[in-house]
Amino acid sequence: MLPADCSRRLVAELQGALDACAHRQLQLEQSLRVCRRLLQAWEPTGTWACEPPPEPETNEEDPLPACTPSPQDLKELEFLTQALEKAVRVRRGITKAGERNKAPSLKSRSIVTSPGTTASTRPQSPGQAGGHASDRRPTKGLRQTTVPAKGRPERRLPSVRDRTRAGIGARAPRPGAGLRNQHMAPSAAPQAPEAFTLKEKGHLLRLPAAFRKAASQNSSLWAQLSSMQTSDSMDAAAAKTQFLRNIQTASGGSQPRLSAAEVEAEARRLRKACSLLRLRVREELSAAPMDWMQEYRCLLTLEGLQTMVGQCLQRLQELRAAVVERPPLPCPVGRPPRASPSCGGGAEPTWSPQLLVYSSTQELQTLAALKLRVAVLDQQIHLQKVLMAELLPLVSAAQPEGPSWLTLCRAAHSLLCEGGARVLTILRDEPVD
Amino acid sequence: MRRRRVDPAAGARAGALPEAIAALSRSLPSGPSPEIFRRAKFDRPEATSALWQLLFRVLSPLPAGNALASIALEVQARLVKSALCSQGYPRLALAQLPEDGSKGSRELLLALSWLLARGPVLEQMLAQTRVPLGDEMTVCQCEALASLGPPAPHMEAEGPVDVRHMQWLMGKLLFRWRQLVSSQQEQCALLSKIHLYTRGCHSDQNLGHLSVTEAEMLRDPEGGQKLLRTLEHESRRLEAVLAWRRSEPVFWQWMDTVLGTCAPEAPAAASQPTFLPWVPECGDGELELVVRELQTLEEELREAVERRRVAWEAKARGCGRGPEWSAARRASRETVEKELGALQRCWEQDSGPAPAHGPHRLVRREDGAAGDRDLRAAELIRTLRSQEACLEAVLRQLQGQCRQELAGLTGALPGLIWIPPPGR
Repeated sequence: MLPADCSRRLVAELQGALDACAHRQLQLEQSLRVCRRLLQAWEPTGTWACEPPPEPETNEEDPLPACTPSPQDLKELEFLTQALEKAVRVRRGITKAGERNKAPSLKSRSIVTSPGTTASTRPQSPGQAGGHASDRRPTKGLRQTTVPAKGRPERRLPSVRDRTRAGIGARAPRPGAGLRNQHMAPSAAPQAPEAFTLKEKGHLLRLPAAFRKAASQNSSLWAQLSSMQTSDSMDAAAAKTQFLRNIQTASGGSQPRLSAAEVEAEARRLRKACSLLRLRVREELSAAPMDWMQEYRCLLTLEGLQTMVGQCLQRLQELRAAVVERPPLPCPVGRPPRASPSCGGGAEPTWSPQLLVYSSTQELQTLAALKLRVAVLDQQIHLQKVLMAELLPLVSAAQPEGPSWLTLCRAAHSLLCEGGARVLTILRDEPVD
Repeated sequence: MRRRRVDPAAGARAGALPEAIAALSRSLPSGPSPEIFRRAKFDRPEATSALWQLLFRVLSPLPAGNALASIALEVQARLVKSALCSQGYPRLALAQLPEDGSKGSRELLLALSWLLARGPVLEQMLAQTRVPLGDEMTVCQCEALASLGPPAPHMEAEGPVDVRHMQWLMGKLLFRWRQLVSSQQEQCALLSKIHLYTRGCHSDQNLGHLSVTEAEMLRDPEGGQKLLRTLEHESRRLEAVLAWRRSEPVFWQWMDTVLGTCAPEAPAAASQPTFLPWVPECGDGELELVVRELQTLEEELREAVERRRVAWEAKARGCGRGPEWSAARRASRETVEKELGALQRCWEQDSGPAPAHGPHRLVRREDGAAGDRDLRAAELIRTLRSQEACLEAVLRQLQGQCRQELAGLTGALPGLIWIPPPGR
């Protein structure tokens, strides 16, 4: 068993790492959900732009009781369908010409959107179409360049229509299925509205005008902000420094103390220094000098490194003194993310995001995998150092007797030398007397 | 308005100040009204709590959320004080203000101005809450696997824990890493598909295809409406910040006058009121580790240098002392100094062409052509590969060190055979 304080620290570190991974995993899964949904067939929410909202609900219950329509109804339906098809063809000719002339208004767009229902709905229920187009689906930008002559069943029989629509889904064995087939036969076009998939029709999408305008305005404002940042007016800059100086002199504080950010930056630099120095020392110690000159140079290098290490240590001690000892604060707002040591440090950020261009799926995957690998290595190295600091002293201090010591050694070896991935075996080999 | 016409010069100045303050108020998130600023100049108590809350929003490291709003005023005030203290705010009067919001609005106004003068606070706040329209990837590693806040209390071990529990936790971590890798690969594949299928759609030729956010907006028009509203809201704030930047000098002149109305503070007494630091420095723990590392290094070096120095002196006594000899030694000294100087510069200055911080928008292009300011994935991959190699070397070296030490500690025991696990 590990001592209590050591346990606490180790568990805290490992748990922290686990939490960070869980957090990232959650983000990835959310993104995956969204992506998967986008790549499947889209729910035709916006496509039925002209459909009055309560309809879907009522239609769910509706069909069940009124199951089989009479043959009389069917025949009438057929006539009606043919008439409407003709109307659609006529209308389509007119609307296409009209659409090209006028600016893409919301109304026309959403009306063109609903495949084939345009013509049928406009004469029949203009109020519905108009109302819905203007306030419900202004952002629907799905424009189909060709309006296929779909034999859309009329809207006047919502139950039938719904059955038709439902028939497309998984609810095939419905009494309406037969009806659907009858209906669809006269029409030359394929079934109804689809399953819009990104794969087939993705390139037809268009962003709505309102959004485009807002986005371009937004990006130009950000760009203005960036340029203003770099060319800060002389007056403003001078006024600011003057104000800061005034505050400094008017205040009781002696000299500007080291801010936490500066301490962190210094600590980061020293951490980098430490790893660079260590690497260099290893190099020098393992190099085999060929001749006297090399040996001399090696010696000088080592001496120089020794001085540098001493300087860094001194600077660190100074920093520690500057950071006054305090008990940990139960901070309700959490703390800012720990800056990873691999990161170069804060360059001047530009406010508008720049582009990162990739050319294939493979490249993107490689890039993301490498980023993750570097982050994981960072985490692993940090944990390695923590484990070394905690476990090695325990192993050297413990009495080498009893199975618990062996467990400790085995665990220490596994964690420290194999990254926790493999475990060694200890064989008890009593000498035969 | 009338004032302006009466006296153009002074009037223009007088008109510009309310504009500046109004712009400032509009650019701050849920910012206080301009009236608050004016009252604060006269140190009116009613302006105090609004300013405490504003400072809290500005100084909080996390983006605003509902959780922040529910924190009591006293707690907010205390955290603001400690944050300012850790940033090196010089004025002592602020530290001595009561935390119930009963007075001190002028000091708070000064503190706010101090923050505004020191850095691009408004822009940073906007960047934090920016609406990402594209699929973004950060280039730097700052938040890659960032550790979140302090661990949940119930997670902390109470008493001594078996070391095998550590092994178990480590195994869990290894599994999570693997899981992350596979999830991320899948996400990249899907992202790439979406970009591919929507090419030719975007109105911006530079981008060429839709991002997930944009496609999602088309799929779900209501969500799209929300996005649009947020975007417009952000644009309004951007305009306010630009207006503020244009009229800034007037504000600073006014702040000088505000400062003038305060009594100059006496130089500090030796003891400063101690504050719990808001930024719990990755702190003491991290510094400790580095100190210990350096100390071990120092020890090692001391031994090695002593040994080699003695050996060298013995050898050197054997050779001659000719002029070429001392010239050669001098040359060696200079070379070594130059090398070590270069090494020191490696960490003293931040690496020259530092990779841009912050998120980049992913764009798929078959030919991979990129403009001047754009990054190419291939280059980034190269940089990351070298980083990876470097880190792997460090890890291997640390593990090797442990292996040696453990072998030293355990190898001497009789009656035990240590069988290492099957290697890679």
